Amino acid sequence: MRSFLNLQVKQKPGKIVPDAPSISADQLGNDPAVPITLHQVNALPHNAKLRIYRALMPLELLTRFKIDPIAWNASGGEQHIWLQADQGTHYTALVGSVSMTAEGEFLRIELSDNAINGIDLHMLVLSDPAEEYFRTDFDENDQPTHFGTARRNLAEELRAMQAGLAPGQTRRGLGASTAVFQQLESFLAALGHRAYFLEPLTYVSAWVFERRGFAYVRGHKLMDDIHREFQPGGKLHRMLDGSSPFRQPDQWKSVRGRAWAIQDGVLDTLETRWDGLRMVKQIGRHARVETFPLAQY
Amino acid sequence: MIYQTTRAAELESLSIFRDFINNACQQQGIRDPEVVYDLKLAVDEACTNIITHGYSGINPGSIILALEFLPGTILVGITDFGHAFEPSQSPLPDLQANLEGQREGGFGLYFIYQTMDQVDYETTEDGNCLTFTKYL
Repeated sequence: MRSFLNLQVKQKPGKIVPDAPSISADQLGNDPAVPITLHQVNALPHNAKLRIYRALMPLELLTRFKIDPIAWNASGGEQHIWLQADQGTHYTALVGSVSMTAEGEFLRIELSDNAINGIDLHMLVLSDPAEEYFRTDFDENDQPTHFGTARRNLAEELRAMQAGLAPGQTRRGLGASTAVFQQLESFLAALGHRAYFLEPLTYVSAWVFERRGFAYVRGHKLMDDIHREFQPGGKLHRMLDGSSPFRQPDQWKSVRGRAWAIQDGVLDTLETRWDGLRMVKQIGRHARVETFPLAQY
Repeated sequence: MIYQTTRAAELESLSIFRDFINNACQQQGIRDPEVVYDLKLAVDEACTNIITHGYSGINPGSIILALEFLPGTILVGITDFGHAFEPSQSPLPDLQANLEGQREGGFGLYFIYQTMDQVDYETTEDGNCLTFTKYL
């Protein structure tokens, strides 16, 4: 550290980074309208891809958890953000945790190149680690439930539902999905992509994604059918007969209520399943889909 | 001014699209009933194609209909995410056969070409986009 008696404004501020030749990565020199795949980014040297993937991390969350946006550590030096983007793979995961353990996770973003070299958002989890944990992700035999899609932990699901959670959640959310999606779009636009895709895990997720501007590649009609059949007199409405805690008569009125009933299998009456839905977000465009008009959450 | 609505790719959506075009044209002061009729006809035919062929075999996804009103011009954008088309390779319909009641595929496209001044089609990462230009 240099000692000084006074400070004065520099007449010619120095550069933060010395001038250097342009980045040599071949793909950066190609037509900027041609999208770059995750596979291409992952092929870069570690520090190069770290620079690129930093742009995926929502600053709002880093600020909230007092994490340095460049070094991804806290004031004590411990790391809080982890990047998985191995060379040779088409998959990238970004994980944020307040405690370096799975229990402390507040963010998980998993992306991959799809078959046509577009981008699929495989997973997005935003949960508040300070909130109570509901063990809906494991059943009574410690088998993973895969968010309740493979198995169910009914006792924990009931507790979660009564606490106001949606199917698939283990903790309350962070209320930061708007910021995360904005960041994700900026990141993908920088890579030259015009859209990205996902498969909504639950009815609640599909509804949230509609509000974030997604349209449907598959399943728009199914969402319309679900809305129609949950109206009084409809087939799904009739399934809310009180035969299980997840099928209470008033549940048709809310997104969460419908989602828990669907989790409990009411779609059987339509001879369909919550399966095969696929959504698309066009970068910079809001599709304005609203399959549950004037919905209450 | 851009008007946009997104609906499921099902035949029930066609009347919603027609009402949407009516309302948008009314708000924009398009008084010529022939123009409004042409827009509705072209959108109806294009969306029917998307519903019956584009989303064939799929639980139907969305159709995004956008109308942009520019001075002297109306641009219609229809975006879907189903199977892509190759309209340039579609044969022109046998009009005589159609008039004799032997309706075959391609007649819808014929109507679109008859009613719109320009027809463009593009398939990109963010969907299949059919764009009509109608000069006023």
